[in-house]
Amino acid sequence: MNQSTAQRLPADAENISAVGYNRHAGPFYRLAKDADDLGGRFAFIVQPKHLNNVGNIHGGLLMTFADVAMSRTARLAAGVESCNTVSLTVDFVGPGELGDLVVAQVRVTRRTRTLVFQTASIAIDERVITVATGLWKIG
Amino acid sequence: MAMNMPEGYLETRLIDPFEIHVGPVYEKGGKGAKRYALRVDDRHVNRRGVVHGGMCLTFADAALGQAAWDATDHAPSVTLNMQAQFLRGAVLGDLIQVKPELVRQTRALLFIRGDFTVQGETVFLVQSLWKLLGES
Repeated sequence: MNQSTAQRLPADAENISAVGYNRHAGPFYRLAKDADDLGGRFAFIVQPKHLNNVGNIHGGLLMTFADVAMSRTARLAAGVESCNTVSLTVDFVGPGELGDLVVAQVRVTRRTRTLVFQTASIAIDERVITVATGLWKIG
Repeated sequence: MAMNMPEGYLETRLIDPFEIHVGPVYEKGGKGAKRYALRVDDRHVNRRGVVHGGMCLTFADAALGQAAWDATDHAPSVTLNMQAQFLRGAVLGDLIQVKPELVRQTRALLFIRGDFTVQGETVFLVQSLWKLLGES
């Protein structure tokens, strides 16, 4: 990450891409929580490796970001070490490009003893580019 | 990577930087009956050694996108929607395979699904919708 990239993220952004695929595809960041704690905010800055051949963010990377952000939020909402994605539906609404700061707002719709229902809106400067809905199994 | 190449498969020519970054992907078979494969390596898994959902979805986008490309004799298209259900985990070293199925093609849209399997067992299911560029 170069300096100009670092400066565009809030100082308290936490890098959550420590290992494996998350690290290979990232880095992805968790932003400070809002007062409403049933959810979370996440961000990444678009790098050359994140693109498709016409210079837009690759759909696979956007689904990866959604899954990373929503899985992390499910674990936090459930207070457990591990949650597994059971289903995920993603609509690609609009494009994003190199250097964009992409932010996901994740909301927990409902948490039961065994499941977490969530939605996420992914945007660049308030312009929504992707929406996701999914179901996570706790543990 | 030759030693990791599954039998009968040839490496797919990927052009998207993100797919090249997470690939390679392999393919075999003729038009309309192609299979695609991904060998799970240490770049694809989480800390428990299980393939990441995001990697599954990226492989799905690549494989079903290749199917869209084949079905249209190489017309460019973009992913509009993808729905996935994750039935079980795949782990390091597994070979994930899919034979994409073109469910319907209209003037502007392609409906494509795929069952992604490891040794014959379904690991995840995907339904997808693609928009042909230049068609309103």
